[in-house]
Amino acid sequence: MAYLHVDHVSKTYPGVKALDDIVLEIEMGKVHTLAGENGAGKSTLVKILTGTERPTEGRVMIDDQDAVHHQHLHKSIAYVPQEINLFGNMTVAENLFMPFSRSHHGGLLFRRRKLERAAQPWIERFKIAARPGDKVRNISISDQQLLQIARACTNESMKILILDEPTSSLTETEVERVFRVVRDVVASGCGVVFISHKFDEMFAISDTISVLRNGRLIDTQPATMLDDRQLISLMSGQEIKTDARLQPEGSEGEVILQVDGLSGKGFEDVSFNLRRGEILGFAGLVGAGRSEVMQTLFGFLPARAGSARVEGREWRLGDTHHAIRNGLFYLSEERKYHGIFPGQSVRRNIGMPLFGSTARGGVIDARRERERVGTIVRDYDIKTPTLNQNITFLSGGNQQKAIIGRAMACDPRVLIFDEPTKGIDLRTKMEIYRLMKALAERGVGIILVSSEMDELRRCANRIITMYEGRISGEFHIEQASGNALVGAIHGHGGDGHAA
Amino acid sequence: MLRKAMGFMVSNPLSGVISVLAIIVVVASLMSENFLNSYNLVIIARALAFIGIITIAQSMLMILGELDLSLGAIGGFCGVIGGILMVRVGLDPWLAFALCLVIGALFGLINGLLVTLLRLPSLVLTIGMAGVYGGLNLVITKGVAITGIPADIGFLGSGKWFGLPVPFWVMLVFLALACFITLKTPFGRYMYAVGSNLPAAQMLGIRTDRVRIGVFAFAGFLAALAGMLMVARLGSAQPSIGDSWVLGPIAASVIGGVPTTGGIGTPLGAIFGAAIIGVIENIIVLLGVSPYWQSMVSGAIVVIAISLDSISRRYFRRD
Repeated sequence: MAYLHVDHVSKTYPGVKALDDIVLEIEMGKVHTLAGENGAGKSTLVKILTGTERPTEGRVMIDDQDAVHHQHLHKSIAYVPQEINLFGNMTVAENLFMPFSRSHHGGLLFRRRKLERAAQPWIERFKIAARPGDKVRNISISDQQLLQIARACTNESMKILILDEPTSSLTETEVERVFRVVRDVVASGCGVVFISHKFDEMFAISDTISVLRNGRLIDTQPATMLDDRQLISLMSGQEIKTDARLQPEGSEGEVILQVDGLSGKGFEDVSFNLRRGEILGFAGLVGAGRSEVMQTLFGFLPARAGSARVEGREWRLGDTHHAIRNGLFYLSEERKYHGIFPGQSVRRNIGMPLFGSTARGGVIDARRERERVGTIVRDYDIKTPTLNQNITFLSGGNQQKAIIGRAMACDPRVLIFDEPTKGIDLRTKMEIYRLMKALAERGVGIILVSSEMDELRRCANRIITMYEGRISGEFHIEQASGNALVGAIHGHGGDGHAA
Repeated sequence: MLRKAMGFMVSNPLSGVISVLAIIVVVASLMSENFLNSYNLVIIARALAFIGIITIAQSMLMILGELDLSLGAIGGFCGVIGGILMVRVGLDPWLAFALCLVIGALFGLINGLLVTLLRLPSLVLTIGMAGVYGGLNLVITKGVAITGIPADIGFLGSGKWFGLPVPFWVMLVFLALACFITLKTPFGRYMYAVGSNLPAAQMLGIRTDRVRIGVFAFAGFLAALAGMLMVARLGSAQPSIGDSWVLGPIAASVIGGVPTTGGIGTPLGAIFGAAIIGVIENIIVLLGVSPYWQSMVSGAIVVIAISLDSISRRYFRRD
């Protein structure tokens, strides 16, 4: 019998059946991947495994005991959330052992030295490139991710480790560091539940893959028995057309955005231009300064020098209001922190920039607002039960579509997408790619900042690379397959090819 | 039918605070026969008028995720300035009244400018500004009330209209205005946007600083209004007007569904919260609770009211 046994579990929320008769066995010493689109029920299942939610029907058996009635059994299930959830102003050692149990620092008083000595073996085992006394906000994202895993593993009663998209903000080399740690945990006899949207990662690490769709368990298979195509059709219930190429046609329009000598926090002297109907990709390592360039251009961050023109009109940088009025709009990679208004309805979220047409004499016309928002919800295929639904309860993909629809309502000439498909399932990803293509062909200039090379090659007409705050190369898509592009991202190979 | 009623109860954010108020009113009228008569209700309405105007102001700031702890000090200082203008300068009482409202708005504006331009936390800044306004008040008055306020404006404080005190009607008018602004205008939506997610509001090109400064100024205006109505009611400008206007309105707002973290709730809910506190304080006096115990008992009941609300919210949580 497996250590963790999910026995015909269903979970019903008012109006929604989130999980429907799930049967699952998680074994020790194996990596078990949960695959499924956004809204398939993975998060709800994880909440039930960790004991934060109780099943409406069915049982969760941990070590052959009924965990629904013995909550303490859930202590052996450790969970690492997708988002970094650490105390930035405290040290690596403090984060590792929080909440401090006496054994780690021996006694009533807080003893930093002893705590840091106790942390050293963990740091070595998990290959974290930091000292125990370093402040967590000063270490890299991948080290923070590893620290989160290490922290979960300090739980001595841990038998199962759940990793919720641990790689979504990591580059490929960093992913390998996380995987080495996962293999180490498995070798020590623990079971791992792994959640990801990236197929290559699933196949690289999993022993078993279970596919969820619309709250049902569709299939559980050994990873070796599946390939990409089968997994996609299991997850979506249909064949998804993954177009190889989604570049917009007719990208040779006139220059619509011109940026000259822009400098700001973390980047220096950035100049480029964007043509009407074109998708311009920005590639680079995490921390190369791409997001900073875009946020400065948009006026969210202050500019030190430089200028920008949309359709020949220049404006004063440093105020998002002016940027939007001049036709430039930026969609942040931080959907949650920079995009949605949590706790507010879909209608209020999307209706926010529409008052030019929905308010008359300073008063909002509720009927017009419902109509306008309703049109956007239909046009962008945003799945929501009603317009009054709290946007927090929409899936990530639908939130993203709501944000794009809202941005388009501002009628931008230039639209900047910053990692638009982070944490989004393949089907919605394809929808967003096609949407970008359609917008570009309607005459909008699009900038796509992405860490996924596949995404850039598939969508962009032209790719600019950045390295350590400077532009390190520019490539037409026909030249973008070679090593020169990868070299430029890593700072080798000079200026690349002149495009 | 019952199901539908329950659905409304759960979905309407005001249902919790209204039921608590209803329960307290029923209990109060059972406990004291002096509670439900027009004389006593007028007393409650008058007390609610002054604290209610401050509650409207504070709840609008709290929707933004801000606080202004100097509203009481602004109210008291503006009352004193009004008294000086009327009595010592001999200005027309109506002109002085209007001037004080403008001055109050200016004080609020100063608070808002300091909070936004210097990126200061409003909690700490307004503790300091409360000291400044309250201190200037004492410097000017030396703690002595200014008496001899012209009787022309007396009815604003102690007059009645349709059986209810005039200040209560004034409060209702501004409550309606506040609800209109927050719920029906783009400016109001921007307030919720700022309170719910400030960076996201900036990313949409909303002039977040202007929204915040605007609400601070409006709150200062309302504080001055409450102060001047109190001067009209007392017939003298007491320097201590507003001293008790600081914490009650914050508690009232939280009880009424406006958390200190901002983004949700309405001024209407906050007024119901203020009514709960007002009724509790009233019934304690009616029951003849020793004055030494009054503040402890009313404080404890406020804590219970907030806890009940929080527990019911968790129980009916929709997710």
